[in-house]
Amino acid sequence: IVSNFKQLTGTKILDAQDLQPILDKFKEQLMNKNVGEQIAQQLCDSIKKNLINTQAKALTLLNKTVKESLKDAISKILTPKRNIDIIAEAMRQREKGKPYIITFIGVNGVGKSTNLAKVAYLFKKEGFSVMFAACDNFRAGAVEQIKTHGRCLEIPVFDRGYKDEPADIAFQAIREAQAKKVDVLLIDTAGRMQDNEPLMKQLSTLVVQNNPDLIVFIGEALVGNDGTDQLMKFNKALIDLSPKDRIREIDAIILSKFDTVDDKVGAALSMTYNTGKPILFCGVGQKYTHLKKLNVRTVVHALLD
Amino acid sequence: MVLADLGKRINNALQQLNKAPVIDEELLNQVLKEIQLALLQSDVNVKYVAKLKSNIIMKFKMEDSQGVNLKKMIQQAVVQELTQMLDSNKKPFVPKRGKPNVVMFVGLQGAGKTTTCTKYAYHWQKKGWRTALICADTFRAGAFDQLKQNATKVRVPFYGSYSETDPVAIAEEGVKHFKKENYEMIIVDTSGRHKQESELFDEMKQVQAAVNPDECIFVMDGSIGQACYDQAQAFRNAVNVGSVIITKLDGHAKGGGALSAVAATESPIIFIGTGEHFEDLEPFNPESFVKRLLGLGDIKGMITT
Ligand SMILES: Nc1nc2c(ncn2[C@@H]2O[C@H](COP(=O)(O)OP(=O)(O)OP(=O)(O)O)[C@@H](O)[C@H]2O)c(=O)[nH]1
Ligand SMILES: Nc1nc2c(ncn2[C@@H]2O[C@H](COP(=O)(O)OP(=O)(O)OP(=O)(O)O)[C@@H](O)[C@H]2O)c(=O)[nH]1
Ligand SMILES: [Mg+2]
Ligand SMILES: [Mg+2]
Repeated sequence: IVSNFKQLTGTKILDAQDLQPILDKFKEQLMNKNVGEQIAQQLCDSIKKNLINTQAKALTLLNKTVKESLKDAISKILTPKRNIDIIAEAMRQREKGKPYIITFIGVNGVGKSTNLAKVAYLFKKEGFSVMFAACDNFRAGAVEQIKTHGRCLEIPVFDRGYKDEPADIAFQAIREAQAKKVDVLLIDTAGRMQDNEPLMKQLSTLVVQNNPDLIVFIGEALVGNDGTDQLMKFNKALIDLSPKDRIREIDAIILSKFDTVDDKVGAALSMTYNTGKPILFCGVGQKYTHLKKLNVRTVVHALLD
Repeated sequence: MVLADLGKRINNALQQLNKAPVIDEELLNQVLKEIQLALLQSDVNVKYVAKLKSNIIMKFKMEDSQGVNLKKMIQQAVVQELTQMLDSNKKPFVPKRGKPNVVMFVGLQGAGKTTTCTKYAYHWQKKGWRTALICADTFRAGAFDQLKQNATKVRVPFYGSYSETDPVAIAEEGVKHFKKENYEMIIVDTSGRHKQESELFDEMKQVQAAVNPDECIFVMDGSIGQACYDQAQAFRNAVNVGSVIITKLDGHAKGGGALSAVAATESPIIFIGTGEHFEDLEPFNPESFVKRLLGLGDIKGMITT
């Protein structure tokens, strides 16, 4: 390859064949960092499109160009188009005398309940009064889990034990939060697989009927190629059941278990690539304080350097 | 079963060899590329996939036979590589009746340990074994309630504590208690943990030392991506993992990470989890899986010729 590239420099312009080996290498690197295969491919394809027919460079330079282009592209994807400031939004609701309502959704075991508790801690620290709605009344111990967090954080919990429909529990919790003039209501929901139709419908019903202010999808940084599918199908389930004039979608992502993947941070990209959904926070541990803003530069660095 | 999709794709790719009149390097590359894609999209470790490809190409180049032999050689090589990945060469632990068998469950946070413990207990209970569950998770909020409610549902005696904070003490006490009562299958559930936090790993080792289990089962989420290999290997190195259970394969996950986990733990997959209910546990047999994987009856013959 090297000798080929020596001839390249000068007046020749780049073609697909010059770029392919370099892009293949970067694709493999991205996949190794847990970027989904199709997303790594699409990213490399877009870089190829941009670089083809530009002036040829020496191999080392070309390598650098590809890397920089990838860095730019990835930074753009990871930088949210819409910035969500939950503290400011909760403040606005409080001025209107209404509770700010957030629903946490996602597949099984990703960290919905734990990160809900971390968000509660954040609100409390900012001086908001908070209430939990225990709407996972399916998984064993789910209600007690929320109650335990309630006890530790001194936050009241609205629950109906393991009976009733989750959508109804949420409805009653909202009424209670309004009556008690609570600033923030956080709704926990049961984990479910994105292909489980009845359960997805149950979740959409909860969301659409109760119309929370923010719908947060919890994904885990550990997830592989399935991550994109999870997010897309949860989003679609919400859209499908929304009334035409009030379409609800996932508003933001919390990416949990960031502390368990070392530099294999590709899930951040896989989750945002096709959906453009902003990453609100990263979960970086099991304690209440383990909630951080995503640092785009660090992620890009981990993926490519 | 989900892994079967992967098998179908690999098999389809191999079929091209049968259809083609001659096999040249181009065709081989094409076939390998499809196999590679199938593996990568199923979250098989990137390095393994690369190794698999280069091993096969090496064999192809060394062989100078033609036609039928060449086809056979390539198929053999693919089967061999995949079998090596999935087959740990280690026989799974076989519990013995009439004596206490202590089985400890370990794994990452939210992988499905507590749920799978209960499924596993239910499995032995149905066979008429005297089975018991111990909750050695004092960390996760509501952990004891979860195990307690699960155990009650499947009518398996349980042991745990709301006040004791030391999981080692609980595990030791619990095992002692059930041994004295002549239980045959004593299952120890532990907290979720990850390799980055050495204190958590130390705790796991202490629990292991205290209960001296006959078997240590690593529970892994079927949708896990590229972080799987390192984590699985770290668990293997910390405690003596004897077998693996892959969970959540009722979803969309292709479960290819399972192959990597087997390689990393050098332990066989004994069950797969296919739902949240206690009967959603299917026995897994690697040998018949590989056979089915390639839809070939005479794999054994192919490998030994
Ligand atoms: N290391 C680490 N563990 C986390 C993080 N977030 C959650 N966990 C752990 O992941 C496990 C599952 O968390 P839960 O909050 O119960 O998950 P869930 O999505 O509510 O689970 P289900 O309700 O059963 O679907 C727990 O052991 C948590 O402590 C994180 O950011 N880092
Ligand atoms: N769909 C599906 N869900 C499962 C399966 N196995 C476990 N789960 C769900 O995954 C979530 C996490 O399961 P747990 O058993 O609490 O996981 P864990 O490993 O004990 O979690 P920690 O103790 O917090 O580390 C729960 O919602 C379970 O119901 C499975 O095979 N399929
Ligand atoms: Mg939960
Ligand atoms: Mg557990």
